[in-house]
Amino acid sequence: MRGRRRQLPEDPQLTAELEAIERALSGRPVDPEHAELARLSLLLVAERPAVAPQSAAAIDARVAAAKALPPARRGHRRPRSRRGADRASPAAPGRRRAPALAWGGGLATVIALIVALALTAGGGSRSGSSSSSGRATASSLHTTAKSAASAAATAAPARPSASARAHGSAQTSSPARAGAPSRASSPARTGAPSRAGSPALASAPSSPFGPLAPQANGRQVIESGQLQLTTSPRRVDQVAEEAFRVIGQLDGIVQRSTVNATAAGGYAEIQLSVPEQSLPQAMGELSTLPYASVASRTDASQDVTGSYDADRRALADARALRTSLLKRLADAHTQAQIDSLTAQIHDAEASIASDQATLAGLEHQVAYSSVQLTIAAGRGPFGLPGGSGSGAGFTLSRAAHDAGRVLTVAAGVALIALAVLLPLGLLVALAAWIWLRLRRRGREQALDAA
Amino acid sequence: MIDTPSAAGEELGGPGWGRLEALYRSSRDDVYAYVCTLLRDRAAAEDVTAQAFERAYRRRRTFDRRRGEERAWLFGIARNAALDELRRRRRLARLIGEPGEAAPGPHDGAEEALRRTAVRAALAQLSGRDRELIALKFHAGLSNREIAGVLGVSESNAGTLLHRALTRLRRACEEEEGS
Repeated sequence: MRGRRRQLPEDPQLTAELEAIERALSGRPVDPEHAELARLSLLLVAERPAVAPQSAAAIDARVAAAKALPPARRGHRRPRSRRGADRASPAAPGRRRAPALAWGGGLATVIALIVALALTAGGGSRSGSSSSSGRATASSLHTTAKSAASAAATAAPARPSASARAHGSAQTSSPARAGAPSRASSPARTGAPSRAGSPALASAPSSPFGPLAPQANGRQVIESGQLQLTTSPRRVDQVAEEAFRVIGQLDGIVQRSTVNATAAGGYAEIQLSVPEQSLPQAMGELSTLPYASVASRTDASQDVTGSYDADRRALADARALRTSLLKRLADAHTQAQIDSLTAQIHDAEASIASDQATLAGLEHQVAYSSVQLTIAAGRGPFGLPGGSGSGAGFTLSRAAHDAGRVLTVAAGVALIALAVLLPLGLLVALAAWIWLRLRRRGREQALDAA
Repeated sequence: MIDTPSAAGEELGGPGWGRLEALYRSSRDDVYAYVCTLLRDRAAAEDVTAQAFERAYRRRRTFDRRRGEERAWLFGIARNAALDELRRRRRLARLIGEPGEAAPGPHDGAEEALRRTAVRAALAQLSGRDRELIALKFHAGLSNREIAGVLGVSESNAGTLLHRALTRLRRACEEEEGS
């Protein structure tokens, strides 16, 4: 009967009879024409079933109990224990009216959350790989050559020909002491070496791990560092990017880099070259990169003053020889003398060129320190986003960066949940609509059959 | 019995406790009469009446005054409860007996008693829909507007439907009296 709002045509007789009924029910006089209808109306009112006192008391008791209950949401079911307890043969209508909507909605929500969590957890490694800018396929190996041009033009590290003649020392920190590593001190650490070729280490630490040895006055020292970092498998690429950023800020050069980011893990091997005065700062900042922990760190220095001086003397000798040969060439008269002197001059010039190259390589090694950075995936704990070192504190930019990532992840989870919830919600809504239609139809059919 | 409940404190969007209490006091017997006529079972009518008020108390926040008056809302709940009871009976295929016949009043004459018997028999012959209309109008005391709210039809349609039901009842009464 619901929904039949179509207006029926007005009938004067119908209107008059309805008016007569109203007048009869209200006790007002009725037109004699409708006296029979008025009498029928009063008879029907007289036939009104009355509530027996015991029934009224039972209804009052049940309603009073119901008032004590809090208002329920849609689909709330009365506790089963109360049903039927008040009557021997309860005929509670709607008893089997299951709150399908609430159950369906709750079930859909739970399923959606489970799926979203599963996708999020499963996608963790995928997200790590995807963050590696398209080089995330498993076991894919990419070699990046950042600043390759400048590295090829300016770095081109010459092979240290004098390394065999030089002595060195190394500082090593163990993984267990990543936060404040102690160093294996060498005998010559506290001051300038007393003689050429002896190991030379510097003093006055300034970084969390202590500085590398600064050059003593007039001495030529090659400094280098090796750093092994561990991070979560998903952040290898991110830590490498941070390392590149640090080196870029210090006017360093990425000579060679290999970043392998896979879903299962990954690693990065980066060969860096930084100005020697920036090496302590570089090592310090690299040691405190966000999301990374120091597995090991080695600071090495090598005093090459002896070989440097020797190379300089050799160069000076070669130049002097060439000058002498040129003078002799000017005084030569015979062709045989000229040919002999010319050959000797060529040899002297070759020697000069060789000595110059050796000296230039040595000076470059002294001016630019090499840093071997290795980033490997491992188990935590890893450094906090703000950096693991005390020097890298909480900054606004890092907080903004982390907030951005949190929002991104939250938005992703919400999107996944929405993708799951939307079709489920539509299905639940459709099922609820069908259920409501069927229930209404069932009620109307029950009324027709009554 | 069909007085409008007094305005008491109201909750957000629904009748308050005081208003519901007044509604209960003014409508309990009306609801019972309507349900009893519809179900033709006094015991079931008692249970369904209590059930209807329990539902009304639980769902008082769902009441929307823009969709009708409180009595129409209450009788809508009672109607659904009664129809659910009818559905349950159909599923159980359990026939409930006719309602206990009211004894003739002490001042009823023979003709009046005969007339009442005829009306009762005619009422029993009516379909469920017609009987529901008669019950809403003459037993529950609802106005045509309230009946329209309960049944989800327009007020004029409710009057028309009531008139048709009454016409069929009169015809049935005449047949009963003629037989």
